[in-house]
Amino acid sequence: MSKGQVGAELRLVTPGMVVGPSSGKRAGSGMIAENNEFIATRVGWLNEQNNVVSVQPINSAYMPRSGDLIIGFVAEVRNNLWFFDVNGPFQALLPMSLAPWKVEFGSTRQHLGIGDAALARIQEVDETHNMVLTMKGVGLRRLNEGAVVSIPVNLVDTLRGDNNTTLSRIRDVTDCRIIVGDNGRVWIHGDAENMHVARQLIQTLNEEGHKKTFESAVQALENERGEH
Amino acid sequence: MVELVPSLLRQELDRLAADGQRIDGRGQFDGREVHLEVDCLYNAEGSAKVVWGDTIIYAGVKFEIRTPWPDRPTQGSLMCGAELRPVAHRKYEPGPPSPESIELGRVVDRGIRESGCIDMEKLCIVPGEKVWGVMIDIHVLSDGGNIFDAAGLAAIAALRTAVVPAERFDVGEDHTLLVNGTPIMASFKRAGGRFVYDPSEEEELGGDERIHITLGDEGHLHSLQKGLKGVFTPSEFAEILAVAEQKCSELREMVAEKEGN
Amino acid sequence: MGGYGDVKLLRDDGKRLDGRAIDEMRPVTIEAGVLPAADGSAMVTHGLNVAVAAVYGPMEAHPRKIQRQDRAVIDVRYNMAPFSTGDRIRPGFNRRSREISKVTAESLESVVLVERYPRSKIRVEIEILAAEAGTRCAGITAASVALADAGIPMRDMIVGVASGKIEDTVVLDLDKAEDNYGQADLPVGILPNTGEIAFLQMDGDLSIEEYNLAMEYNHKAAKEIHEIMVDALKRRYEGGEN
Repeated sequence: MSKGQVGAELRLVTPGMVVGPSSGKRAGSGMIAENNEFIATRVGWLNEQNNVVSVQPINSAYMPRSGDLIIGFVAEVRNNLWFFDVNGPFQALLPMSLAPWKVEFGSTRQHLGIGDAALARIQEVDETHNMVLTMKGVGLRRLNEGAVVSIPVNLVDTLRGDNNTTLSRIRDVTDCRIIVGDNGRVWIHGDAENMHVARQLIQTLNEEGHKKTFESAVQALENERGEH
Repeated sequence: MVELVPSLLRQELDRLAADGQRIDGRGQFDGREVHLEVDCLYNAEGSAKVVWGDTIIYAGVKFEIRTPWPDRPTQGSLMCGAELRPVAHRKYEPGPPSPESIELGRVVDRGIRESGCIDMEKLCIVPGEKVWGVMIDIHVLSDGGNIFDAAGLAAIAALRTAVVPAERFDVGEDHTLLVNGTPIMASFKRAGGRFVYDPSEEEELGGDERIHITLGDEGHLHSLQKGLKGVFTPSEFAEILAVAEQKCSELREMVAEKEGN
Repeated sequence: MGGYGDVKLLRDDGKRLDGRAIDEMRPVTIEAGVLPAADGSAMVTHGLNVAVAAVYGPMEAHPRKIQRQDRAVIDVRYNMAPFSTGDRIRPGFNRRSREISKVTAESLESVVLVERYPRSKIRVEIEILAAEAGTRCAGITAASVALADAGIPMRDMIVGVASGKIEDTVVLDLDKAEDNYGQADLPVGILPNTGEIAFLQMDGDLSIEEYNLAMEYNHKAAKEIHEIMVDALKRRYEGGEN
């Protein structure tokens, strides 16, 4: 039976797989230590950094953390607050006081109605998943135009690239405004043709899911569009 | 569960429609790729699997021997049912059959029944005593949009490749079920104000009414259904009917090809 | 168990009617990620059995009364398609599928790290498309791979496997005829890493020695099936980062 090993090369591990002795190291995410052994709890790539052994998951649900930049859809409106679908297991609450506008009690619907999209930050999450959003902050706003596309949460980093380098290149080559939410929702806005190109590119990422393939798709697009 | 319809999705469908485009890049009346497989399930007397874009549907045919109805002593029976179980999508919840499940089963049932492709008299074993009851069950495993067309295709393909299990019931030799015709469904959805063929999941979420048309081999109508909120004009119907004729004959050829194998 | 000793299930050469040795299992194939609409999914064929599992979630547990403040609940539905058996099954839950759903959920709760998702629910839908004895085991195997595919953290997967007794002989992995006319059936769910047992049912008649031998066969088969499960997940994802 194949066993993952803690080493330099990338190793795919599956839940229950013993990946090596745990002595002197700490278990990171996707990893538990039992009987002096590390056991993977998720499908993903084995990772060891600074004595922490973890699994970089290949597929995972969005689990909100405070500070996350998210794209949400209004699911419910009350007189003094909104509930947002943020692609997580639970809805998040935006109180009137954390909206970017001066909102009168009872006039919440005039600012954001059901189905409307907004760029927000997660202000607070407690251990039972209760979540508060804020829209006070630079760039946080209602999204009035463009489209929202979904990607698996584990591909968010691939889409952004190191220090957002990949994202900048995609913005340039597609001539679209693009915002990548930590919750796996991507907002794109541009003219019809450019938006279609951006959508196709993100679709490639969704279907392939591989860093290398995606990088070469971006490169190919740059070559193709650079010639025009 | 009622799904949330993003305002931006409806807005984008409108904008794309104005440019004659669709989200996934298809033309207004282009369909997605369809794969059909027949005779794929042990225990079903006829079976088919349809992979239609992200939609996956199985259909299985079972036979039983029953007593004919007193007023039709020489006629067997045909029944087609569908299950939209929670396996197929996050939006489907457990519980008794939903109105959507029942609608799907009945629309497919009507198309097959009314095309006359099954001669009920041929299902008679002993007049007044024993007739065959043919049951088609549609099982939706993944709803990626346009389950109606995929269900209709799976059902007729399973039926056309079914073998009557006469030996198991001790009433003669096994033989292929006689099916005279291949009724096929074509579905349209209003998205961004105009009708598109073969709606995707997003177009179903952000669109309005849908129209299902089942055509027989001669191009005759055998079942029509309008679902969801919305109204349409006679000229819109004339346009999609012409598209339906072409789509149905393409899919009919696909079924014929699979039977040959 | 039918338990009718007059049906011959073993051939004169000691093999079974389908030619298998007494400790040989039917062929198993597994594919992960087969259902585009689901968060995770798998299809298992075990002999002529076909089981498909879909996983949705974690999502907010509804209705409220099923919510647990300290962990997720696993909501399993095991269902046989109407055309999956010799005689058509009327759609809907019956006593058998309710019981199997319950014990399958409880066994999955023993491996999923449910405490990570308070107040949530993880939906596991098991659909049997073709049945030839052993569907609950194929369903457990499919559910495990689907949970892994959905990225749900688990301390181990569970392998569903069964042994039984025919003509006073312990055999691995009963087929339809052996299940109908045999003397005992022992389906279990085994954690491949530790050898622990998360699912256990049995009916029929087994001596303690026969039970031990049947379990030995089960553990051996679980190792084989586990490799196929791992292989299915690798085939779906490998090559990803290279």
